[in-house]
Amino acid sequence: MPPDLIQLLVGGILLGGIYGLAAFGLSITFGVLNVLNLAHGEFLMLGALMGYVLFTAFGLNPFISAMAVIPIFIIAGIGFYFLLLRPISEKPPHQLLVASILVTLGASLIIEDLTAFFWERPVTGIAYSLPPLELAGVVVSSTRFLILMFIFFLAFSLQLYLQKTYVGKSIRGITQCLEGAKVVGIPIVFVSALTFGLGVALAASAGVFYVTLFTVTPIMGIPLSVKYMCIVVLGGLGSLVGSVVGGLILGVAESFTAYFIGAEWSPTIAFILLILILIVKPEGLFGKKE
Amino acid sequence: MILLLGPLAALPWLAVSYTLTLIFFLSVYLTLALSYDIVGGYLGYINLGHSTSFGLGAYTTAILLNQGCSLAVALGLAILLAAVFATLVSYPLFRLRGAYFALATFGLISLIEVVVTNLRDLTGGSGGISTPPGNNLLPAYYLAIVIVLVTMVFSYYLARSQFGLALFSIREDEEVSRAFGVPTSFYKCLAFVISSVPASLIGGVYVWNMTYISPHSVFGLEIALSPIVMAMLGGSGTMVGPVFGAIFITLVQEFLWTKVPYFHLTMYGTVLVLLGLFMPGGLVRTRWIQPLLQRLGLGEELTYFKNS
Repeated sequence: MPPDLIQLLVGGILLGGIYGLAAFGLSITFGVLNVLNLAHGEFLMLGALMGYVLFTAFGLNPFISAMAVIPIFIIAGIGFYFLLLRPISEKPPHQLLVASILVTLGASLIIEDLTAFFWERPVTGIAYSLPPLELAGVVVSSTRFLILMFIFFLAFSLQLYLQKTYVGKSIRGITQCLEGAKVVGIPIVFVSALTFGLGVALAASAGVFYVTLFTVTPIMGIPLSVKYMCIVVLGGLGSLVGSVVGGLILGVAESFTAYFIGAEWSPTIAFILLILILIVKPEGLFGKKE
Repeated sequence: MILLLGPLAALPWLAVSYTLTLIFFLSVYLTLALSYDIVGGYLGYINLGHSTSFGLGAYTTAILLNQGCSLAVALGLAILLAAVFATLVSYPLFRLRGAYFALATFGLISLIEVVVTNLRDLTGGSGGISTPPGNNLLPAYYLAIVIVLVTMVFSYYLARSQFGLALFSIREDEEVSRAFGVPTSFYKCLAFVISSVPASLIGGVYVWNMTYISPHSVFGLEIALSPIVMAMLGGSGTMVGPVFGAIFITLVQEFLWTKVPYFHLTMYGTVLVLLGLFMPGGLVRTRWIQPLLQRLGLGEELTYFKNS
């Protein structure tokens, strides 16, 4: 394989890892709350800005910031849940749908507009780099390599958390059957709030890596939410493996499109993949058939 | 009815063009809100990408007008293109439900926006496209009013037809409705196509009057969200709801927003959040207005909304 193809592949996998991390946050939130958070991309944007501020003001390196934003955004997410989502969570299905779209879309517009007002210039990445690595003739930026390792580490510990701890098991239980979870005495409100916080924190953490590599603007939140939704549908609802694989596919597809067809066409890829998967396999790559 | 129509028809001889423009824009938004509501309110699938039809209609009309087509031909082809496009995308999109459908349709706008921006030779790219110059405000005003009235009457009778009833039943429970013999897939697709027709038509009239559009002006957030906010504020799933909402929001915009140049999206967002938290049924389903409407015979479809 020629070296520039491998470069493309590595770049795509990295982008895909960032996508997958944030998309999984969206996926567990939907599984537990039955609410699709349209403001999810905004939290990635906020996380990215916070990572940028931490770097410029305190010189904190992105790996520490990525850990530091997690507790902050878990608390922010829990606050968001109790303020905006808890009041509507008991409504019947169709009303819950309408109300949740209104609330999360409204919140997303507010966050976007306020950020755009106070943050006029786009943030063009942060100047954090390590000496490049050379592996078998291919030059790989070691920052990117470390970020990728870090994302896989996060995904792995998340998987352990979901498999082994009480809260993790409750999250999976509620996703499978809400009534059953109620019957065996899982505290639904507590777990919902925590799940929402966790989902938001994952997006924010992915945002810190995003700003290390790409340009961040306040208006990128809504297009990102659409991308995550495409990834979640592509991978299959509620599956961690599905989100990561879906994210990787999208990341690689986007970087190949940008190289072979033109960078201006790469935003269309997510939607084209969505349409294809809906026609061929509507339940997603790793989803279960209903 | 005559009390309402008389002043509207005579207005060009009485008022300045500012008022005409205001009413023109109100008609554009109201048409979009009413046609959005066929899918968003009657059928219960929140179609956040309704402005795709508007933009496609506007661009088709602009390109054809530049080729020397007459307005009628251009508008006809614009409707045809938007309807064919709606038919094609409805098949994969209706495999999604609920919030996923909403977000996917929202993504549809940005997809078409990117495509339109990239096809520079045809559409002028991000610089936009101009149509042959001319002052068309007066005929465009009458045309827009006719379109909005036809859409209102259509929407009113649709809610009272068998087809409308089938759409309500899909909204309340799709499985039960299919079990009772409603061809749900076909009706969903049909509703989607029907709702694209007024939107693309008014898009064509819009560009004929404005003589300039850019991807941002027809696929932007403002034109995508305003009609939906209007329909939801007034009361989704009724004919009178969008009318209430559109007039209310247009008036608020005129008197309040011109004084505050910032935070327009924040205000939209706040309205959306408050609606979602306290009033997902909209103004017409509140305790004070619903009995009044039902006495006037306008609120029959309110009673189909079982969950309120």
